Amino acid sequence: MPRRARRPDAKSLLDRLAAAELIVVTGKGGVGKSAVAGALARLASRRDRRVLLLETDPRESLHQYLAVPPSGGEILAVAPGLHLQNLHPGAVLDELVREQLRLDALSRRVLASPVYRHFADAAPGLKEIAVLGHAFRLVRGLARRGAPRVDLVVLDAPATGHGVSLLAAPSLAAEVIRGGPFGRMAAELSRFVADRESCAIVTVALAEEMPVEEALDLQRMLRERLHRQADLLVVNGLLPPLDGADGRSDPEDPLVALYRRRRELAAQQLVRLRRGWRGPSVDLALLPLDRGPELLDAISDSLAARLDRPIAPEPA
Amino acid sequence: MSPRPPSLIVVVGSGGVGKTTLAAALGIAAARGGDDTLVMTFDPSRRLKDALGVGDEAAEREVEVPCGAPAALAAHLLDPRRTFDQLVTRYAPDAASRDRILHNRFYDHLSGTLAGVLEYMAVERLFEVARAGRHARVVLDTPPTRQALDFLEAPERLIGFLDSGALRVALKPWFDERGRLRPTSHLGLLGRGVEALLDRVVGLDVLRDMAEFFQAFAPLYGGFRERAREVQALLRAPETLFLLVCRPDEEAIPDAMFFARRLRDAGHRLGPLLVNRVHPRASARRAGTSAAPRVQEAGRLLAWLEERDRRGLASLRALLASDGELVEVPLLGAEPSDTAALGELASILRGRLPADVL
Repeated sequence: MPRRARRPDAKSLLDRLAAAELIVVTGKGGVGKSAVAGALARLASRRDRRVLLLETDPRESLHQYLAVPPSGGEILAVAPGLHLQNLHPGAVLDELVREQLRLDALSRRVLASPVYRHFADAAPGLKEIAVLGHAFRLVRGLARRGAPRVDLVVLDAPATGHGVSLLAAPSLAAEVIRGGPFGRMAAELSRFVADRESCAIVTVALAEEMPVEEALDLQRMLRERLHRQADLLVVNGLLPPLDGADGRSDPEDPLVALYRRRRELAAQQLVRLRRGWRGPSVDLALLPLDRGPELLDAISDSLAARLDRPIAPEPA
Repeated sequence: MSPRPPSLIVVVGSGGVGKTTLAAALGIAAARGGDDTLVMTFDPSRRLKDALGVGDEAAEREVEVPCGAPAALAAHLLDPRRTFDQLVTRYAPDAASRDRILHNRFYDHLSGTLAGVLEYMAVERLFEVARAGRHARVVLDTPPTRQALDFLEAPERLIGFLDSGALRVALKPWFDERGRLRPTSHLGLLGRGVEALLDRVVGLDVLRDMAEFFQAFAPLYGGFRERAREVQALLRAPETLFLLVCRPDEEAIPDAMFFARRLRDAGHRLGPLLVNRVHPRASARRAGTSAAPRVQEAGRLLAWLEERDRRGLASLRALLASDGELVEVPLLGAEPSDTAALGELASILRGRLPADVL
């Protein structure tokens, strides 16, 4: 299957992200990763890309941003050019077993056996590979039975652990299992995630110590393990500045004082982040909005305003 | 007639809710209450080391933390891989079998996630500390929720794995002395065909590494199963208390309730829910007519944050059986970065937690 050529009009960072086949959105829980993933999926779908927004958390949340019912594991059309799926990695593996064994009776026995269950639960990297493989097959038109045509998958990566454990799973597996159908698949996926034209990596962080630590860790591990960098850092939930206010004349409200101190803490973390992060980044202000379509609209607008500009040359 | 406080407090919750900081503050509070206390953490972040004033040596052993309390406080950073290596070294019958395991490619690359082995190693270490009984109280900080579930289920999963057919299959003498697949080697040409097929699918060297890994571990299994049962019992003992930490926003509620239910269903004793980083309520704040626009904007944001937290707290209270099951911990103006600042948090916790916890 020939590779999709890079769109010649890819001039802004948003163009470049939308032209990828997979965008992996990583970050700790509670940093607004899902909202950013949803916003990127929507912005890409407005650029005539057929997009699948994919989450793997057993408790679905993305549907709340799109004001649709939970997908329940199916691929659902939710807007023009936009599909949504909550993927159960275990189900992908079971599907693969059925596909490989063909015989119903045999695959039922395998699927029911404790050996398989333990292996599927515990084999390192297997679920990660299943998720990436699912995305790969969809965008390369290799998926089976009535799957919709998809140009781009936006993956809201699992919140636990480093995003890098997801991204490094194929290369680790390929290192251990050389050759064979499984080894070949792992090697192919490992090339897929290492290629910045195919796979974009977006990291979401807050200006707090642990999320900053994790973003910098991810950058280091991407460089060491995959010899690549992330394509975008989104710093979310920033408190707007108070400066220029004549707070001095007023005996300061303790809440405003708390606000100031929290801002100072965030500013220190931002300095750390800026010092360590190589590559493009955007800041998003904390918005007084609950999870839902209104928040998604606001984040989409902010991201579009900041990302749809000519790209500055990257530092070597 | 207050019941005896728990000798083991396990602090659990999602990532980024402040478990590590609260665990350290709980440790200080317990030491101030006169109990020799050990705080154990998975979190390798510099913050806790700095806040408690300990260095990397705390990964090797328990390190004394000077905090001005009448009883001693010690800190220990958990490193599951190191524990695993130590365990292998201790139980291996001789140096050769030890090295066979430690240098096995499978162990090196993949053992990390095999059936929650690393999580199990952390529980194992905890058990050793608890059994040594050198501390009146132990406070354990755990990895984030999902991994914490792995952590709690690790003993069960390990027992399940050891008892399942997977191990019997793995322990068969698959390879002969020449590294040929045994079940096929007596079949001549046909056998070599099968061998070639397996080699093509996953690679014989992988199978060889795996088989060797499981066989090298065989002498350890009996002890492991025994240990896993004891660890399970410890986590369900009446002296063990789980404290679940969450943030007040509504998005955090499903996670917290899910975890609370899992803990109760698994037979663990659950203390009050700690709702961390609650934005303080505005005390009749003036409408700020004279305030600059920037302050007004910040005021609106603060009002929303407070209101969001109130909503979250109200939903949480509605889901809990009684008011005493929830303890609010306020958002502070600074992240505790020394024992003095942690002490402030310890005072808040001591003031708000019931006597049967602290």
